Amino acid sequence: MSLSTKEYFVKETVKSIRRNQLMSLASVSTVALSLLVLGFFMVMVFNTNHIAKYLETQVQISVYMSDESSEETLAATEKTLRELPGVTSVKAITKEQALERFKERLGDQSGLLSSIGDENPFPYSFEVHVDKPERIAELAPKIDELESVETAKFGQEVVENIFRLTKIMRVGGVLLVLLLAMATLFIIVNTIRITVFARRREVTIMKYVGATDWFIRWPFLLEGMFLGFTGALVAAFIISQAYGAILSSVHSTLAFFPLLPSWPLLLYINVSLLVIGTGIGAAGSTISLRKFLKV
Amino acid sequence: MLLMTGVSKTYRNGSVALRNIDLHIKPGEFVFVVGPSGAGKSTFIKMLFKEVAPTTGKIYVDGVDVLALTEKEVPFLRRQLGIIFQDYRLLPDRTVYDNVAFAMQVIEAPPLKTRRRVMTVLELVGLKNRANAYPGELSGGEQQRIAIARAIVNDPILVIADEPTGNLDPETSMEIMRIFTGINESGTTIVMATHDREIVNFMGKRVIAIENGLIVRDDAKGVYGYES
Repeated sequence: MSLSTKEYFVKETVKSIRRNQLMSLASVSTVALSLLVLGFFMVMVFNTNHIAKYLETQVQISVYMSDESSEETLAATEKTLRELPGVTSVKAITKEQALERFKERLGDQSGLLSSIGDENPFPYSFEVHVDKPERIAELAPKIDELESVETAKFGQEVVENIFRLTKIMRVGGVLLVLLLAMATLFIIVNTIRITVFARRREVTIMKYVGATDWFIRWPFLLEGMFLGFTGALVAAFIISQAYGAILSSVHSTLAFFPLLPSWPLLLYINVSLLVIGTGIGAAGSTISLRKFLKV
Repeated sequence: MLLMTGVSKTYRNGSVALRNIDLHIKPGEFVFVVGPSGAGKSTFIKMLFKEVAPTTGKIYVDGVDVLALTEKEVPFLRRQLGIIFQDYRLLPDRTVYDNVAFAMQVIEAPPLKTRRRVMTVLELVGLKNRANAYPGELSGGEQQRIAIARAIVNDPILVIADEPTGNLDPETSMEIMRIFTGINESGTTIVMATHDREIVNFMGKRVIAIENGLIVRDDAKGVYGYES
């Protein structure tokens, strides 16, 4: 392709976008809008995954010992727990520590505790952490059967709900991405079809004087790609700004809430939006040109 | 230059446009194709640049088997042809110069060569001083001259014209024919479909008459008419 030909393509593309300013604006905003929804969904999926992973690591097995256990039994149980497959840490919580924690949690209302008298109702317990959350369900019953263990509990429902939620988000995410991509494609196809229709005479003449299909296609392809890219750029900008704002407001109010940091999350999302936008633009113009190239 | 053997065309709706046409046109000839509307003239013309493919038969343009060309090769056949229509088919938003240069840009000719060649052909059709005008500012005859300039700017071996004087008055038509004669005298073969009795009779060139999809007459120095 010679330089003058490239120049010609760019000139034609600019001319066409100028001539169809309103329609170009409409498609840029529609692309931006659908990619915006897509981008926000991606932000949500990534963050849900992140939160799920975080919560999974927080899940532990609480092993409550009977009050009659002797020091030796406690030490032996701790040893047994440590030797179980997949157990990464075992932390002993004495009765006194448990009571202390509870007081802390009550804060100002710790006075309530005086009503239970001097007796400490909390059992001696171990907090058992495991390497993989999937292991919890199989380990808990085993621990439960150990001698002098009262009960072994874990947040089974929490874990299962988290798994279910992430699965739904993943499947739903893929579906939504496909749907939005198709809607965007449809809009681009129609925009380009209008510009092609306005220039069908030109396309026909080009065919008659011996232009190759690719020569005819290039300006339209560039136009579609430009519209898609610009729309994606707008969406990426809005998402970046919005996510930054969300992060700072979450940090100031719910500091412990585990949201992903902007970097590299926004990089991934913005790059994929730009790729999707440009790709859809290119596909849209190719589809809408097909009919007109048959002369 | 042009060879057709056993060419027939039946459209999908069942209408028969051409029946078993055999034809040979030598390089440098000037050939009129006449016949009533719906006789198959348009189909015949469109087959020369492969807008329509025959149902059966063979077509050779300058020794090239047109039907064997793939879709990708068709543009390269068309670059050797100059095609002219009754309705000029110009781009109204481009100047006279750009309308002609367009045909060279499309085949990616070098810009310098394009400039020189476009001015040469505009001079040939007498529109050099209107190079910066827009088609809408010009008369029908002038617009057709732009179309002719565009058709010959790439030095075609064969010029195909479909009723080029159909929208023009007799005087302007004669002007157009003078230009065609000039092109033909420089060695370019011309095939022209027409309804214009006066022109055919005046020119005294080869006349092929098509009626009902058949060649009913083929006279070396013919006059208008298709009743055998």
